[in-house]
Amino acid sequence: MNEPRPSSPSPAATPAPTACPVAAIDRSCRLPVLFLFVSGAAWLLAGSVLSLLASIHLHAPNFLSHRAALGYGRLQPASQEALLYGFCLPAAMGIGLWLFARLGSTPLVQPGLAIFGSAFWNLGCAFGIGGILAGDATGFAAFNLPGYAGGMLLAGYLLVSISAALTFHQRKVTTLFPSLWFLVAALFWFPWIFTSAQLFLVVAPVRGMAQAVIAWWYANNLQNVYLWLTGLAAVFYLLPKTTGNALYSRNLALLVFWLVLVFSSWGGIPASAPVPAWIPTLSLVATLVSLVTVFAVLTACRRTVRRPAAPVAPASLRFVRFGVASFVVAGLMQVVAAFPCVSAITDFTWYGAARTQINVFGFFAMVAFGAIYFIVPRVAGFECLCPKRTKAHFWLAAVGLVLTVVPEAVAGLNEGLKLGDANLSFLQISADSFHLMRVSTLGILSVVLGQAFFLVNLLTYVIGTSRKWVLAEASAATTDRLKTAGVNS
Amino acid sequence: MSPDRVQPLPLPVESSEPKVAEDAVPIVLVVVFLILFFCGLVYFDQRGAWFKPEVYVPYASITELQAFQPPTGGINLERGKALYESICGLCHNNDGTGKPNQAPPFAGSEWALGNPNRMIRIPLNGLNGSIKVKDTDWALSMPAMGAALSDEDLSAVLSYIRTSWGNKATPITSDMVKAVRGAVGTRTQMWTVEQLNAVQ
Amino acid sequence: MNYGPLLFLAAFAAMSASWFGFVIGPQAQLGRQQPAAMLGSPVTYPANRSGEARQGLQIYRANGCVECHSQQVRQTGTKLIVQLVELGTNQPALAATLKRELPSLPEAELTRAMEKLPAALLTTSARPDADVLMKAIAAAGGKCSLQIVPVGPDLERGWGKRRTVAGDFLYDSPVLPGYQRMGPDLANVGARNPDLNWQLCHLFWPRSEVAGSGMPACEFLFEKLPLGAVRSPDALVFPAGTDPVPGFQVIPTPAARSLAAYLLSLRADAPLFEAPFSAPAVAATSTNAPAVAPGSTNAPAPAAGTPPANPPKTS
Repeated sequence: MNEPRPSSPSPAATPAPTACPVAAIDRSCRLPVLFLFVSGAAWLLAGSVLSLLASIHLHAPNFLSHRAALGYGRLQPASQEALLYGFCLPAAMGIGLWLFARLGSTPLVQPGLAIFGSAFWNLGCAFGIGGILAGDATGFAAFNLPGYAGGMLLAGYLLVSISAALTFHQRKVTTLFPSLWFLVAALFWFPWIFTSAQLFLVVAPVRGMAQAVIAWWYANNLQNVYLWLTGLAAVFYLLPKTTGNALYSRNLALLVFWLVLVFSSWGGIPASAPVPAWIPTLSLVATLVSLVTVFAVLTACRRTVRRPAAPVAPASLRFVRFGVASFVVAGLMQVVAAFPCVSAITDFTWYGAARTQINVFGFFAMVAFGAIYFIVPRVAGFECLCPKRTKAHFWLAAVGLVLTVVPEAVAGLNEGLKLGDANLSFLQISADSFHLMRVSTLGILSVVLGQAFFLVNLLTYVIGTSRKWVLAEASAATTDRLKTAGVNS
Repeated sequence: MSPDRVQPLPLPVESSEPKVAEDAVPIVLVVVFLILFFCGLVYFDQRGAWFKPEVYVPYASITELQAFQPPTGGINLERGKALYESICGLCHNNDGTGKPNQAPPFAGSEWALGNPNRMIRIPLNGLNGSIKVKDTDWALSMPAMGAALSDEDLSAVLSYIRTSWGNKATPITSDMVKAVRGAVGTRTQMWTVEQLNAVQ
Repeated sequence: MNYGPLLFLAAFAAMSASWFGFVIGPQAQLGRQQPAAMLGSPVTYPANRSGEARQGLQIYRANGCVECHSQQVRQTGTKLIVQLVELGTNQPALAATLKRELPSLPEAELTRAMEKLPAALLTTSARPDADVLMKAIAAAGGKCSLQIVPVGPDLERGWGKRRTVAGDFLYDSPVLPGYQRMGPDLANVGARNPDLNWQLCHLFWPRSEVAGSGMPACEFLFEKLPLGAVRSPDALVFPAGTDPVPGFQVIPTPAARSLAAYLLSLRADAPLFEAPFSAPAVAATSTNAPAVAPGSTNAPAPAAGTPPANPPKTS
């Protein structure tokens, strides 16, 4: 992002004589990235199972009612945090590490730190989700992990981000690819928001309603800024890479970058919140502007995939396209629901849950799947994906998501419209929603099956091919030594 | 799931890292952004109450909120404060702590917190003789400082005294003042503590 | 020129703006909020919850009650109702005044209004109109009262008397206003269902108190003992015909009691400057709820020994 580049079609990253070969970069990322992705997939599966159990509670109120740890109020937050902190954030970290290395044309610096950090992170997740089931949840949505887990998570993230920052510092390219801007911003934003939330909500809780405002701010910044930044970084890298076209417009990417930074971080306060009027009003203004962000991203993506020149990795492309479509849907749902006349209907209904699910799972998780299916073969060094299993994962996840969120959104709108009439019984309206939620439970089941395929896909790389790694590693090390000694191999 | 069932294939030759085109941003996006931002700012100006902490949705400003305050039932504590400071505060101090050899305190005073009928009579006709306030004897004389005040005004002053400086007693209404005025009739003599204690 | 650090700083500033706006700002404003006097009363609101209720809030948090219940009553507008309360001594003058001030009111309505008191004469959202009418009635010797009525679907559903404001959560930690209503809103549940036994029965077996309820049973908060010869005084008393565990008695654990105490302390019925409404009386608690232990509600009890300050005042 230093000097403006001439618009002549010269290759953006001509390997300089000292730049590292791509295979070496990928190899340097192997252990941390695989660790993050595989542990993420495991947490994702666990979280989906918890979500399924929680969903069953809605239909059978006496299901598991003897144990406190398996109550709906504990299973639901546990599943949500497993999705966010167990999968989404490690996937973001893994994608970030690999993109810093690849786009900087440098091997990953201090991969050991990244591995330590990932281990800490997983420990934090284990303590956190266990803590929620044990009753130590903080109560705040998207920030339910107990304080002791939060410390471990922060330590883990800082270790990983040191590795990422050092890698970025050692980059060999002069012009930054747009994805790098997004990743650098995300890199320092997560520790900031997480530390603030820990400090003001857990360590030294502020007084009264300020807690809820800070919690809403944190949840918004995690789901609509951090995940958007990392997700868009992956999208802006993968779409050109898998279609062979150039990314449509550095300037458009710049516009998206600034809009997300300046405006999206102000969203997230519900319109009817018990806070002075200026807070939800500012939030509404920010959400209104995010309409432009959504359309800018849509424009960039559509113009990038037009007439793909050399399509590669169709599985990844499929996931990423679904992710971008979900991004647009989630963005529009958020903008529409921000208007006070609409939020009077959609607040406190299933509509909000549907929108969150489309944003976190439909956009970020699906883009992450696409990125993971792109990255893992490259860091492992060979292509070993079973196309049938990958396709099954995609369809189970996509159909599952649609089956989960469409009934939720419909139920939400129905509830909201009916609750406006004070003569209708709340119980009857609620019962109607629970009927629709049966379809959602089926959707969650489909998603669980998809995650199982995903985990198996990743494990085939890890378990079944560990033998080949040792051999490949030794051979590659020899090749590198020969190369640097000036011998052509 | 044996690994050898799917033969690992070599990866395709990797093209260079993706390129970025230098096209311009579609102008419609910029225009829409400016319009939305403008509308948003106008909305904040109209409904955001400019950061006032007391104004909640659906009220748009302090003025609107004040228009919906219930009538205070005749007890205007602000007026009571103004009257207190101009009439009583000269001797009893504006912070209700009293002045030695001049006037006893009101803050925490059992006479201010106690029976309203006794409290109303003091400013109506004045007080003479020794009075014990918070374990201290005050042997002074107070003229009928409240005789010229209307029922509403006197009730406002006394309510202000009963609800300020840590005092937490129920306010005195203008009806109560009116009733006491009717009961004392045309009395001009100052009260003594013994006479006040006889009042129920 | 190396734009990198400059752009980094600009990005930093852009993101930190929201930190100042939504973390530091609310902390300065809401985090320093002090209890304020209720309308028409020198008593400050809120009072801290009792210790048992504060423990109940932790049970509420630990079991994730916030996943299904909100504690926010919303308001969409306010209406003013001018009510005629006393006719006064000069009824013909009053009738003439009313005819003049309310030309759109038909004759029959006016007569009916003057016969059956209190009668709502005017419903408006404009304070000046209401003031004009009230002055005119007072001048004609009648007495009227002004009702401030917040309107909104939540309020009409009986979920509260006024909207929820930040002051309602002033002493709570954590503050859990909620985001989903799979069950009814709880902001005013202490006033709606003030019976301790009801709350405990509902927690143990929701369908015993609310037929068709989808709420999961919180059996883990209770002990089930066989019904021996002597029934424990703490045992729950289920409504007739709904005993979920015949042959057993259900004893609440301390956790259940504290959760019930917390629920009973949830009231949003104190009129405040930021959420005004016509109070029924100046005394803080509307206490015909024998199950409510003194000091366990959020609205402070009147000072011991003082009679209710105002008889219901007109105008």
